[in-house]
Amino acid sequence: MELLPQALVDGIMLGAIYIAIAIAFSLVFGVLHVIDFAVGEWIMLGAFAGFYLNLWGKVDPFLMLPIVFIVFFGLGYLLQPVIQRVLSGHKGNPLLMALVFTFGLGMIFRGTAQTFFGFYSHSIPSHFSNGSFYFEKGSFFLTISSVRLAGLVYSGVITLILNYLLRYTDFGLAVRALAQNKEAAGLMGVNNRRTNKVLYALYTGITAMTGVLIGVIISVNTKMGAEYSIFAFFVVVLAGMGYLAGVPAAALLLGIIQSVFLVYLDPGWTLLAVFGILYLILVVSPTGLFGKGWV
Amino acid sequence: MAEPILRVDSVSKIFGGLTAVNDVSFEMQAGEILGLIGPNGAGKTTLFNVVSGYYAPSHGKVFFKGKDVSGKPPYALAALGVGRTFQVVKPFGGLSVLENIIIASFLKHPRRAHAEEAAWGVLEFTGLADRAHIPAASLTLAGRKRLEIGKALALEPSFLLLDEVVAGLNPTETDRTIELILKLKSLGMTILIVEHIMRVIMSISDRLLVLNFGQMIAQGSPAEVAGDPSVIQAYLGEEHE
Amino acid sequence: MTPLLKDRRLIVSALVFLLFLGIPAVVHDTFALRMCTEAFMWIGLAVTLDVMAGYTGYLNFGHQAFFGIGAYATAILMMKAHWPFPLALAAGGALAAVAALIIGIPTLRLRGSYFAIAVWALARAIQQFALIAAWTGGPDGMRLTAFLDPQFFFYVMLGIVGATFFALWFLLERAPFGLKLKAIREDQESAKALGLNPTHLKIQAFILSAIPTALIGGVFAYWVTFIDPGSTLGDLISDQAIVMLVFGGMGTLIGPVIGAVLIFSFKTLFWAYLSQYEVLYIIILGAVIAASVVFMPDGVLGKFMRKGLRRAARPESAPPAAAAGKEA
Repeated sequence: MELLPQALVDGIMLGAIYIAIAIAFSLVFGVLHVIDFAVGEWIMLGAFAGFYLNLWGKVDPFLMLPIVFIVFFGLGYLLQPVIQRVLSGHKGNPLLMALVFTFGLGMIFRGTAQTFFGFYSHSIPSHFSNGSFYFEKGSFFLTISSVRLAGLVYSGVITLILNYLLRYTDFGLAVRALAQNKEAAGLMGVNNRRTNKVLYALYTGITAMTGVLIGVIISVNTKMGAEYSIFAFFVVVLAGMGYLAGVPAAALLLGIIQSVFLVYLDPGWTLLAVFGILYLILVVSPTGLFGKGWV
Repeated sequence: MAEPILRVDSVSKIFGGLTAVNDVSFEMQAGEILGLIGPNGAGKTTLFNVVSGYYAPSHGKVFFKGKDVSGKPPYALAALGVGRTFQVVKPFGGLSVLENIIIASFLKHPRRAHAEEAAWGVLEFTGLADRAHIPAASLTLAGRKRLEIGKALALEPSFLLLDEVVAGLNPTETDRTIELILKLKSLGMTILIVEHIMRVIMSISDRLLVLNFGQMIAQGSPAEVAGDPSVIQAYLGEEHE
Repeated sequence: MTPLLKDRRLIVSALVFLLFLGIPAVVHDTFALRMCTEAFMWIGLAVTLDVMAGYTGYLNFGHQAFFGIGAYATAILMMKAHWPFPLALAAGGALAAVAALIIGIPTLRLRGSYFAIAVWALARAIQQFALIAAWTGGPDGMRLTAFLDPQFFFYVMLGIVGATFFALWFLLERAPFGLKLKAIREDQESAKALGLNPTHLKIQAFILSAIPTALIGGVFAYWVTFIDPGSTLGDLISDQAIVMLVFGGMGTLIGPVIGAVLIFSFKTLFWAYLSQYEVLYIIILGAVIAASVVFMPDGVLGKFMRKGLRRAARPESAPPAAAAGKEA
């Protein structure tokens, strides 16, 4: 029982990472209606970018976040038109084909990474890596590692920036218009193509940055993609497909559930328990925790 | 008097804060054509969706041939003899016109050979036989509307819901569709039809039902309804807005 | 409907099958027989995947779960309960059917792309379970008693895959079931108005795709005599099957056969001559499927063989009255 407060705190820290992974992913899904199967691979690539930049440049990874963002923003911007082409296809189910395309993309990323980066696990060192905060009050004590706290701050900042972008800028208005009604938005002067490109590029940029963060807090290896894709999917399903406002709550909840389970169960069984809960939620409420997702 | 084939009993449909259909009641006798009219947004398609099983009524009940079918899914209603078309036509684009009809024919003819025979019959009746093997996606709008009706007919229904089947058609095509509907009526079909084009609905309906803001504001013969002041007001609006 | 004897695609398939049956009579090289057996396995995996993906419009990214269930069920029943092979195999199939029901009911209500990620995640969960449970042998896997008879496994695999192909051909290309599935795939709401219950049909299709896959998995287990979560429940199995299916052409049953044969041949040649570049294989697979989606969404079958097979596939039916007058 004394472990519970720590588990809760750990859960919140973990949840913060999940927010970062899921929020851009959910945005892309909500507007472009594409589930990017390669989300985990973008994280992996970002993490490796951070690792090598740090290795060669000797700069703290947190300072390199903007560079990683810019590079992957560019990549996403260039890639989006191909996805758009798939989405405008007339054969069968374009959304499903787009999913298959991102699935193929993920394989390319994974294979390329494995070719160049091998199979070893790394960690990205940072000035924050060894610090931690320690609270004590009677029999109640808490340890919070600095990097994880930095992660929480990062997630908060990203969420706030995205929120600002969506609510108070023209771009955000265009995005929200697109999400509601593609044709009407186009007729009203929204440059659909460019907005889509920027949106997807934002997503890849943010997701890659989150990868760097994960590389610092947890680890980097070429096989990590799948695990994070799963968590991205979990959060988005819990939050409700396409319901962006639900992401922070769903992500924190997932982090807390996982951490609490870890207190009582082995890591292997914890993962299964989380799967089990997701399954149950899907059965009971396919529209997510808040009932606002699309079925 | 004979049991009405359709009885809509105080049906309301509420979506969150919006009451799309508000306490609507009416009956239909077998073999009659009832026209459902009203300004845009009056709730006609919502009412349609409730009667055809796509929405469950928030309040009230729907009876078909005396049976309570409120909230039953569309496929259950199809089995009971209800056929419907969609305002935005929904052909099975990747399949041929014939295959589209065959799928509907399976309801009454579970075996492929019989279903196919029945499908040809429907194609002849709707004038699509010459386009049987082309993909449904390559039909013109008029063709698709025909196909839509054809699919509903292939169910061999006793009750047909037609949702704006002449919208977007040119006058010739419209006339041919009217002919088709009247032919169906002469064969004993009961039809509930939504339509905006006044000359069409006035000429084929036995009775009219007018909706505005989800409520029924008039019911009666076309002449009665046309003269009803509340109907005129609904369509032409208040003098001061 | 094309009369049975005039269904050219079916005739060709039957002839090819008969041809395959005769292979062991002329080919005695065990390596070659093993290659063929594996090729049949992949054909089976791609074809069963097509049931959901091509006909129903629901791509099963967790297809390996059924394969693995069949493999493990067979292994466990044979080794721990000493059941004979055919019985264990059948039990694996039954288990997969139950699994399809349990997995399908909540997930098939969702749209195609959500279903894809849901089953992908669930399949990983099953793999995870096999890794930590005691009675599946955990990460070390399980050994089966060795029964080394290449001809036996050649025939069993060919038999099961062949039976699956022809059964699916009847159910999906000739019986009403296939057309109904396609209707669901094209427009679910419209299909409901025509008397079709989408959820029932989807679950039936899912179970239909699961059972043969499990049987193939069971045969695989007995054939290779050693299974572990990585080899039987891993991503790579469905990844490759998906590439084969999309590359070959979805929704046709013949497309996946072509795709499986082509990709498997490529894979064999690749491993024979370029095995030091093993990671390249994944890149190539990814590139193949990405390119297929963009440039040939109907697969090889759609792009290159459209003319020939369209002629073979054109329905030879006409309005009953006119049939006497015109002949195809």
